[in-house]
Amino acid sequence: MRPSTSPLPHLFLAAGAVLLGIGSYIGLFRAPAEHYMGDVMRIMYVHVPTAWSCMLAFTYAFGCASVFLLRRRLRADAHLEAALEIGVVFCALLCFQGAVWAKPTWGVYWDWDPRLTTTAVMLVAFAGILALRSFVPDPLRRATWSSVATILAFADVPIVYFSVRWWNSLHQLQSSPETVSPLFVLPLRLNALGVLLVMTGAITLRARVAMLRLGRETAPPPLEAVRPLVRVAV
Amino acid sequence: MNGVIPIDWGWEYVWTAYGVTAVVFAAYVASVLVRYNRERRRP
Repeated sequence: MRPSTSPLPHLFLAAGAVLLGIGSYIGLFRAPAEHYMGDVMRIMYVHVPTAWSCMLAFTYAFGCASVFLLRRRLRADAHLEAALEIGVVFCALLCFQGAVWAKPTWGVYWDWDPRLTTTAVMLVAFAGILALRSFVPDPLRRATWSSVATILAFADVPIVYFSVRWWNSLHQLQSSPETVSPLFVLPLRLNALGVLLVMTGAITLRARVAMLRLGRETAPPPLEAVRPLVRVAV
Repeated sequence: MNGVIPIDWGWEYVWTAYGVTAVVFAAYVASVLVRYNRERRRP
């Protein structure tokens, strides 16, 4: 399995970093403070894009897991590994940002509220799949087991998304450009696009790392290693 | 009045959130780039 060597993911990473820099500058220094949350609301400009990209990474992982189980292509498993890893990093970061925002607004870093609890379950479930992958040396078995586990764990993703609508939650409902002042939309959109580009670039490069490793794992053994066996057989 | 007390403090929380986000993004992307370059050089 030979991955592409296109420089596109590097460009995505660079463009994402630039957009994140501009979006964060506007969010921190140009956008006004919110009436009730004050300056603490500025955390939303990084928290919300991280949440969106985290959900997208796990949705992509679900797609890769389905493709692997249907077609048995190890390339899909490489992308699954990449999406899982980035989704877990974003999910852990998301929980941290949420806790830092919750302390001044809710008075506590953590509460066993439906949105927070289902997000914690999502983090533990997908981190568990990454741990499972590291215990299975056989590439095909590893891909099959982690694909099945990803599909099972993905059941929590729509629950996380709809938890604020289904249950009485401390966490506010999802916002949209119609419900957010235009002054807050620009930094949010710039950072959302920036995080999306960083995620896309990182998933592509991380999948290449997995493909190169899978290529080694599935390659036939070198002739020197096989020769003694051949001699015995003769 | 609706009983909500506006927050007029909390920049330290903002800097913490942005700082940790920047460090995590930079460290993760750097780790991916290092692993990619190392994997490409392996025979």
